[in-house]
Amino acid sequence: MSNPIHILVIDDEPQILRALKTILTAKQFRVSTAACGEEGLALAAAEQPDLIILDMSLPDMDGVQVCKELRTWTETPIIILSVRDGEKDKVAALDAGADDYLTKPFGIEELLARVRVAFRHKNQASGGGRRTRIRTGKIEVDLTGFTVRRENVEISLTATEFKLLAYLASHAGRVLTHQMILSNVWDPAEADKIEYLRVYIRQLRKKLEDDPENPEILLTEPGIGYRFMADD
Amino acid sequence: MQPSQIARQVAAYPLALLLTLITSAFLYPFRETISLAVVALVYLVPVTLGAVWWGLGPGAISAALAFLSFNYLFIQPYYTFQVHNPGDWVVLAAFLAVAFVISELMGRTRANLSMAQAREVEAMRLFELGTTLARSRDEQSVAEALAEKTIAALLADRVEVSIETGANTLTLTRGMKFTRKPDVVTPLQAARGLIGEMRLWRIRLPIQPAEERILQTFASQGALALERIRLSNADRKARVLEESDQLKSSLLSSVSHELRTPLSAIKASVGSLRSGEIEWNSDARADLLATIEEEIDHLNVLVGNLLDMSRIEAGALRPQKKPNMLAEIVGAVLARMRSQMQNHHLEVDVRDDLPLVNVDFVQMEQVFTNLLTNSLKYSPPGSTIRINAHQRDENSLLVRLTNQSIPVPESDLERIFDKFYRINPSERVTGSGLGLSITKGIIEAHGGKIWAENLPDGLAFNFIIPL
Repeated sequence: MSNPIHILVIDDEPQILRALKTILTAKQFRVSTAACGEEGLALAAAEQPDLIILDMSLPDMDGVQVCKELRTWTETPIIILSVRDGEKDKVAALDAGADDYLTKPFGIEELLARVRVAFRHKNQASGGGRRTRIRTGKIEVDLTGFTVRRENVEISLTATEFKLLAYLASHAGRVLTHQMILSNVWDPAEADKIEYLRVYIRQLRKKLEDDPENPEILLTEPGIGYRFMADD
Repeated sequence: MQPSQIARQVAAYPLALLLTLITSAFLYPFRETISLAVVALVYLVPVTLGAVWWGLGPGAISAALAFLSFNYLFIQPYYTFQVHNPGDWVVLAAFLAVAFVISELMGRTRANLSMAQAREVEAMRLFELGTTLARSRDEQSVAEALAEKTIAALLADRVEVSIETGANTLTLTRGMKFTRKPDVVTPLQAARGLIGEMRLWRIRLPIQPAEERILQTFASQGALALERIRLSNADRKARVLEESDQLKSSLLSSVSHELRTPLSAIKASVGSLRSGEIEWNSDARADLLATIEEEIDHLNVLVGNLLDMSRIEAGALRPQKKPNMLAEIVGAVLARMRSQMQNHHLEVDVRDDLPLVNVDFVQMEQVFTNLLTNSLKYSPPGSTIRINAHQRDENSLLVRLTNQSIPVPESDLERIFDKFYRINPSERVTGSGLGLSITKGIIEAHGGKIWAENLPDGLAFNFIIPL
């Protein structure tokens, strides 16, 4: 590849940096590494990477803080790495502008899948041409026509259900926190009414999923929020 | 002695005299008609009453006045202190003797009575202090009890209790402020040395020796209570240390085995793959790699369990409670564990229209994962595992997970939630021995409770989650 995709990894553990560098380089990415928040911010500004993988616990500053500072000047996708039980931090980082998260220890396939999703999202956002039709399995969501079809048969949704689905689908692949969804679909004043969200998600699943008990389109991100899975 | 008591004592003298005068006035009109013996007898009434009511002094004064009035008013010649008739001398002398003996006897009885009453009050105060001290669980409350009871018992204006607690001094004061030095200082002397002192201020009256005795008794009671508290604290600390020591050694023995097994498997697989001696075909290679990945996941679960356990023990497991749908939590767990449950039948009845529960999604997932893992481990392949949930009352949901495992001895149904408990210790079952105890910790952190019961054909885990 003449112009390989450039990934910046910010993590203070040398073993992780070494492993990620080896694997991602083998996968044809160009990789830079930083061992602390300050260095990471400086490298991000100097090298303008296409994607940033950021560990939440850094020696010099909080991962959430790094996210916030990056978001003041760049829309580069950020994937955060966090430990189990770090739900609070993950939510804070996602709310601060991170695109996705991975829980340590993670499999490399999982990481590569998240990287792909983040890129797709980035290309859509920067390509100007936001997709208006989103396909997932047998379901097609038409954002401009306000319709949802299953194999060309229209599914009737209430206005709120459609609004919720449209918000999730237009951020397909991305983790959306409860707060983000509630304040965008309802009202920022109702950002803590998670029970509304649960009820509407349940209704949407009943209408869209083949097996609402084992959802494949509207996925639950435990303790964090939801993710809409679209076809590539 | 208190000021009011002294006032009463002083007032008793005129009262005793008045009583005698009234008696004289009462007898006077009849002096020509009644005999001297009757007069003498009636005069004994105020003397006796005075001694009984007011004590020896007023009784004696009353006796003296009665003697004089008797002589002056009733023995001829009237209105003089002279006595003409020698027989009258005998009456007078006998009266005087009897009156003094009576007042002396009565007065002494009364003094004994009031001393007995004072002793009773003292005993009562001591009893109150004793019971309050027995209830005290820390040094602060001992100091409070000591200061308050001392103020009440000795009518002190201020009491200061200071206790040496290792590096610093705990000082507690009750009563008004003083700049001058305390009137009495009593050490708090315990068997193992001086542990503090009590300082007492009283403005109006100096401290009597009897009161000082009371103060000393209080102080020694206080010192005993403090010593008891210190000993029981030390004992508790020792027991906690011992328990955590035991925990650590059983943790080490259980965990070191559990940690080494996957590590050995990983090390062996990696070693084989790296050695240049054998050409691995792709199937064998994939097999070795799958082993490595599985064992790493196993290690990850184990480390997670150890972390959870230490959090629960430290009281640091704080659920991030949010309204969640139980059906969704169960669904997520089942989706993740599907491959492990291939050999068991599963019947789930958790409706999605149950009320939302305010729980930590990740921790609740852990609860179901642990209970399922446990059921899979102990129930035979081909058996059925059931999960159902229903609303128990307005405030709670009851979740029930049943399996067809071997029964647990009734006496051990509670102990299966203990750390490292095994139904059959000799049996080699893999696992950290922490799963059920973590489950219990999580349920309790959510304000719920969990228990197990034997069924005719298996075991049921029940737990309640508050809504």
